[in-house]
Amino acid sequence: MTRMRSVVVGLALALWLVPPAGAQPDTLAKIKETGVLTIGTRTGSPPFAYVNKNNEWVGFSIDLVEQLVKPSVEKAVGRAIKVEKKESTPPTRIPLLSSNAVDLIAGTMTDTPQRREVVDFSLTFFYTGAQFLVKKGSPIKGVNDLAGKRVAAQQGATNAKILREKYPQAQLREFPDQPAAFQALLQGQVDAYTNDGIQLYGLKAKAPKPDEWDVVGDFYSEEPYGMALRKGDAKFKAAVDAGLKNGFESGKYFEIYEKWFGPKGELPYPMTAQVKAYLLKQIGK
Amino acid sequence: MERALERPVRELAAPGLLTTLEISLLAWVLAVALGIVSGAMRTVPWKPLRALATFYVEFFRNVPLLVWMFFWYFGVPPLLPGGAREWLFNHGAEFWAGMFALGVYHGARMSEVIRAGILAIPRTQFEAAVAMGLTTFQVYRLVIVPIALRLIVPPATSESLNLLKNSSVALTISVAELTFQTRQIETYTAKAIEALTAGTVIYLVLCVGIAAIMARVERRFAIPGLIARGG
Repeated sequence: MTRMRSVVVGLALALWLVPPAGAQPDTLAKIKETGVLTIGTRTGSPPFAYVNKNNEWVGFSIDLVEQLVKPSVEKAVGRAIKVEKKESTPPTRIPLLSSNAVDLIAGTMTDTPQRREVVDFSLTFFYTGAQFLVKKGSPIKGVNDLAGKRVAAQQGATNAKILREKYPQAQLREFPDQPAAFQALLQGQVDAYTNDGIQLYGLKAKAPKPDEWDVVGDFYSEEPYGMALRKGDAKFKAAVDAGLKNGFESGKYFEIYEKWFGPKGELPYPMTAQVKAYLLKQIGK
Repeated sequence: MERALERPVRELAAPGLLTTLEISLLAWVLAVALGIVSGAMRTVPWKPLRALATFYVEFFRNVPLLVWMFFWYFGVPPLLPGGAREWLFNHGAEFWAGMFALGVYHGARMSEVIRAGILAIPRTQFEAAVAMGLTTFQVYRLVIVPIALRLIVPPATSESLNLLKNSSVALTISVAELTFQTRQIETYTAKAIEALTAGTVIYLVLCVGIAAIMARVERRFAIPGLIARGG
């Protein structure tokens, strides 16, 4: 009897790990009921999502949700809602989404074809590409100078995968987070650290001595950032996209961009005409 | 197996499993050696040796393994001369740092297991061996340690399985072991639940396999009369 029971409990646990197949997610219905939109975001990726000096959880991605997505979702469910934030990292964000722990990933997630097989993405809200952070005066100037060099990357990031596949002459070392990778660069365990250019600029700006570091190289990958949501939830996706689209059209998006990346922003990073055209092309302009 | 998963399994999971086995095996040898020496030292009738072993055990087992990983990877290399450091960085510094972190940490824990085994041996054994004319070192080498090792198979097995599973912590210093690679598979295929489940099953099979082998070893080497269980 006891054995029988433990077998049943074991099976139940095993099944609990497997997400129910076939059930159509309906996030809007859930939000309507609870009045809460739960987002998965980062705590250490300035200026997209991070905890600032005053211990507030803020950032560009979070502002986009608060000011563009939230009103649109409120309109769709017909009631006022609250945005709740949870920490999500590259290895945990898809499981968090598929287990319903969060409804939307809004951080620094690159929209890729592989990821599109398991989650859906909103319109692209930021566009960057992989570069390298090196000590000033390093012989590494770009992706073609990597032969025999030790390069740090972040585990679970798209650029580590590209390096491994296309530039196997580099010795890749992958760390779970940005601080560990930067520590390895600082101490000489690695010669360069690769990540999305914008994140490297953020890291350089926060470094104890920003002048000692350079961000080098042309983009060797394309990293369009999107907000991820559960696959097949067309109504929720429409609400999220409508919010972003409205932001692009009304110019509100560009105001928020200016706040974080403008000359007086957290991290000055002027938007190139090419990127602006890319963003606007999504809404047919 | 799904076709889409074939490549990641062959190129990632298999080498990851190999790395897990390599780092665990080397660290286990180190841990057992350190454990036997320090465990025996904690019971000898000479205070400085006991103090030294006690210091090792308490210092290393009371700091989290994660901290030891960072210590061996970030803290030790700067102490080496420049040439050696550069050479090490090019030849898997993270693997060796992880191996030492695991081995030295689990050596301290293994030491307690072995000490418990030695303390379980009746005092009369020790006295009888001395009466035979053996020196203290000979008593330990020929009588006490061999008996202790046969007594502690069950807790030592537990400790060894812990070591194997704890090797996953080495992913924080970029050692490409099994857990690291299951996360890579997630990156490649975006199938997080499947990759995690596969990793779980591999650890489970490994550990259950080792436990089964050790259960046989335990029966084979049990000393009738000293351990109160029939074979």
